Amino acid sequence: MRPTQYTWLGITFAGGIVWIFLAQNWIFLNIFPGLLSIGNGLDLEEYLQTGSSPSFTFLWFSCVTALITWVIITINGQPRNAAEVRRMRTGWWIASSILIGLGLLYQIFFTVFIWQIRGNTPIEGSGLNYYPIPAVGWLLLIVFVILDVLLLFWLPTLLASPRSYRFVVPGAVKLFGGR
Amino acid sequence: MSIFAIGVGGSGAKCLEALTHLHACGLLKNNSGNSVRLGTFLVEPDQQSTLLARAETAINRYQKMHNLLDNKTEQFARGELRHYGNWSPLSNSAGSISLDQVFPKAVLRTQANGLAALFDCLFPPEEQSAELEVGFRGRPPIGSAVMSRINLATEAQTGQWQHMLSDIQSAAGSGESPVIHLFGSVFGGTGASGVPTLGQMLKSWLRDQGLNSVRVHASLLLPYFDFEGQAPEDTGVHAEARNFQLNTDAALQYLRSSGKTCFDHVYLIGSDIKARYGFSIGGRTQDNAAHLVELLAALGMRHGLDPSTDGAYAYVLSRATQNQITWNDIPDGEIVGEALARGARFAVAWLSNISLELDAAQQISMQSLLTGAPWARQFFQPTGKASGTQGGRPSIRNADELAIKTAIDSYAETLLQWLKQLTSNTGTGFAQELFSPNLLQRNSNYENSLAKVVCGSARPTQEERLDTVDAIKIRIDELNPEQIPHNGVAGLADTIWSLAL
Repeated sequence: MRPTQYTWLGITFAGGIVWIFLAQNWIFLNIFPGLLSIGNGLDLEEYLQTGSSPSFTFLWFSCVTALITWVIITINGQPRNAAEVRRMRTGWWIASSILIGLGLLYQIFFTVFIWQIRGNTPIEGSGLNYYPIPAVGWLLLIVFVILDVLLLFWLPTLLASPRSYRFVVPGAVKLFGGR
Repeated sequence: MSIFAIGVGGSGAKCLEALTHLHACGLLKNNSGNSVRLGTFLVEPDQQSTLLARAETAINRYQKMHNLLDNKTEQFARGELRHYGNWSPLSNSAGSISLDQVFPKAVLRTQANGLAALFDCLFPPEEQSAELEVGFRGRPPIGSAVMSRINLATEAQTGQWQHMLSDIQSAAGSGESPVIHLFGSVFGGTGASGVPTLGQMLKSWLRDQGLNSVRVHASLLLPYFDFEGQAPEDTGVHAEARNFQLNTDAALQYLRSSGKTCFDHVYLIGSDIKARYGFSIGGRTQDNAAHLVELLAALGMRHGLDPSTDGAYAYVLSRATQNQITWNDIPDGEIVGEALARGARFAVAWLSNISLELDAAQQISMQSLLTGAPWARQFFQPTGKASGTQGGRPSIRNADELAIKTAIDSYAETLLQWLKQLTSNTGTGFAQELFSPNLLQRNSNYENSLAKVVCGSARPTQEERLDTVDAIKIRIDELNPEQIPHNGVAGLADTIWSLAL
């Protein structure tokens, strides 16, 4: 790996932490509060603390694991030809799809399933055994899951895929393929 | 600087094959370190000889590649080469010919009393009537008789000789000190008779022309192979291994008494451990594999370019270990080893990987290629357009580029075949520690490891797992555009050549 790639890896990793643990919650609270709790008695701060944050933390952890795995595989790869390198793109898409799927699963788990397993309600006196997120709120969460995978997996792999795998990540040829 | 190599007979042709590869690897340079201009000329009565064809294949393939590269490289295939063709001392006669047709006894009788009787005395009937289209049948007296009829002054007026001799004149006239180097065996027929005769003729022609700056050298091959099996009974007059020593003794005696009238320097190279070749009378069936002795003989020409060698006349070689040859036994082993190692590693990397990548690239979009081959953008248009250039880079599908690739493929294949033969054909009980012969071949598996191609001291010291074609591709990708002076296939080959070691 080139020194600049290590730098980009560090920057994107640190940026991911700031995004997941600080910026994202701030955005939910200050920019999209209405989309997540339209007249359903949802305490947004409590939801962010017990529903959203844990699910995005799990997603962050999954993305970091996938990123480390990607870097280890590519840094030790001894591809014989371009076709072998290109086959890694399929692997990248599978990893990204799994991460998005996991991200959605984490959201559903911490918003719905965990309360049903515990058998209690996240909103006192409502009788609901899940967070009543409106449809547009779910849409927002899906967008953020995809955005997080882009920031936590696509961006670092785009900037820091080493050696012959430099252009495997989608968009890399377009962005860096010139000379 | 211009140098002229004349290969006489089958072994001479094999030496020119070796010399071509040395030139391709950048081993023929003048004092300033610049590649010399090599002229090649083959003298062979056996026009069907496989050895002649093989030498011409190597020469022509290198020449074609060099011409197509058209100076678009910094290091790769920089050496200029002009092939003057091949010439037969029997070229004036049509169809098969025998000694008694060259010297018709009826004519001899009219020329001088007793000349026909002397002819009968020197040549037994079977030698007189043996057809010479397969060469001089391992009999130096036959060759000497035919060769002595050559009149260089007459030959200089026409054909291949004219082209070469006028180039020698031009080179000497422009203040250079050209070298003419003859190659041939002294234990067979054509070389043993042709090399001293031609050497002497060239020396006297040069003297007559006042070309005193031209030096005439020779690499003379002493016995280094035997025949496996016997010739069929109806073969007629033929080369016999038991005569090799006798022929050699006679040649060396001649050299001791008259050598300085033929050559300024001689290099005597043979081997006590003999390679085994199947018997062949000549022609297409004579397909003796390349041998290390021919490489050493060709290196004589490189040695002769060094002005510090002017004082001595005859050079011989020895090796450190009885049953093995290593890079340390090769003259100038460090430089020669590095150059040949670079050539071998380049040829393996090119033929078994890069060339296959370029072939595969014809079937997919450039965008798709770059996904797996970032290095390709350094030499070819990233847009993949079929025409036009972007930053001077041609399309990977450009017909001219593909022609260069095909020429490099052909030459690299020839180089690998030669190296493989050279290292496989050492003789019983004799080992070489130069290359791994089993790796010196084209394969379609996208060979990646280069670590074991070269053996011994010329082998790169880098860690084995990092010594791969992939590592070269990564280094290419990391180069700044300023470090890549040439684009296209020529630029790619040049860069791989420089990074191959």
